[in-house]
Amino acid sequence: MSSTSEFIRVDVNMISCVGIARCGGCLRVCPVGIFEKNGDTPAVVEKNQDECILCELCVQACNPEAITIRKLYEA
Amino acid sequence: MRLLEHESKRILEKYRIPLPVGRLVSPGELLKIDTPVMLKAQIPVGGRGKAGGILEASDAEDAQQKVSLLLQSNLRGYIPKSVYMEEKKTVRQEFFMGVTYDTVAKAPLAIFSPVGGVDIEELAQQQPELVRKEHFTVASRLPVHRAREIVAETGISGKLLLGLSSVLSTIAEVFLDYDATVVEINPLGLMDDGRLIALDCHMEIDDDAVFRHADIAALEKEIGRVEGEKHMSDFERRAAGIDNLDHRGVAGRVIEFDGNLGLIIGGGGASLTAFDAIRSHGGRPANYCEIGGNPSVLKVKELTRLILSKPGVDKIAVIMNVVSNTRVDLVARGIVKGILESGKNPARTIAVFRIPGAWEEEGFKILSKYGIPIQGRTISIDEAARIAAKNSN
Repeated sequence: MSSTSEFIRVDVNMISCVGIARCGGCLRVCPVGIFEKNGDTPAVVEKNQDECILCELCVQACNPEAITIRKLYEA
Repeated sequence: MRLLEHESKRILEKYRIPLPVGRLVSPGELLKIDTPVMLKAQIPVGGRGKAGGILEASDAEDAQQKVSLLLQSNLRGYIPKSVYMEEKKTVRQEFFMGVTYDTVAKAPLAIFSPVGGVDIEELAQQQPELVRKEHFTVASRLPVHRAREIVAETGISGKLLLGLSSVLSTIAEVFLDYDATVVEINPLGLMDDGRLIALDCHMEIDDDAVFRHADIAALEKEIGRVEGEKHMSDFERRAAGIDNLDHRGVAGRVIEFDGNLGLIIGGGGASLTAFDAIRSHGGRPANYCEIGGNPSVLKVKELTRLILSKPGVDKIAVIMNVVSNTRVDLVARGIVKGILESGKNPARTIAVFRIPGAWEEEGFKILSKYGIPIQGRTISIDEAARIAAKNSN
């Protein structure tokens, strides 16, 4: 999938994700709007990924551990 | 917000401080005067008299000509929009009195001098014994008996002491009531008949408190109240638009210059220091700017793009003091992204990147990836400015 981000890549594993109705932690805790609602599932807002402040609140809030954050400048 | 003299005097009038009889003169108005008058250009800046902004006129024709002259003058960067005409007063003695806020002591400060009509900072330096200063608190204000102590210490006594201390106590009331940062009467004139009259007044209201005073807020909105010589350029307007993209931090307070080195520099004293240092090392800034308060990556990116879009600008210097609330990595992301989106090479475009502080390890990793030399906190702002000037010439 193409990304407009240069530095940060946030991914949600849709196989593990249990949906917003049952969890939705990422949408609640992200302070910089990385996630948006797409039906019952969270979607990553591509253009906002470089705003990620690496707080990892979303990672902690995600019960099924479906979120990964990668620093592209370390790759 | 600095008030014009006539606006300040309307406030003094409410507090019953005696003033010369005066009124605003409209451009082209036919004047009728019987006695000599003083014509005073209404500009929001000090040193007006020395700049030729106060003229005396003896008759109507003379006054008419001088009003026209004042309205066409460029006085310390301002073109007066109005002229205040006052009766000329002959004074026996002039005094200085003012109230300001001492940010070090965190308290209001009353200042009095038996020598008025002069630059008070200069006088305080040359003859400190002639300038009496006293702090007071917002809670207890400056009652007349305390004002009397301040004035009496300069050797003034009798009826004059009572009159002066009453005015000093009153301007402290004005200062507190109006959330002012400065209220100054200079000079306060003593007439032959013993009356005290406020001949000039300088008043500044705390910008953050203007909304608490409907009359001042209305003045602020008045179109054409003050006309500066310099208008915002299209570049500056676009930068201000970037700053309004979101609420996070500041990245768009920009002043345009005609050099070749774009600046993205930290706010406050550090940006002034960096700007001056770059110039002193022979650099030619394309802009002054202030960033801080942890701006979003988007804002920094857009500001970088804007600066690089200026014809003749192919290098940018990124300099901030040691940051605590602004994150080095987020600024680095914005800068690099802005350069890439401008179709340029970050390593060749950044003349210097000197931001030490919060999240610097992450920031330095980003810089390393793009081959940008890292200048840490051991490099002073002056040294960073020297490097920037060298790399941009």
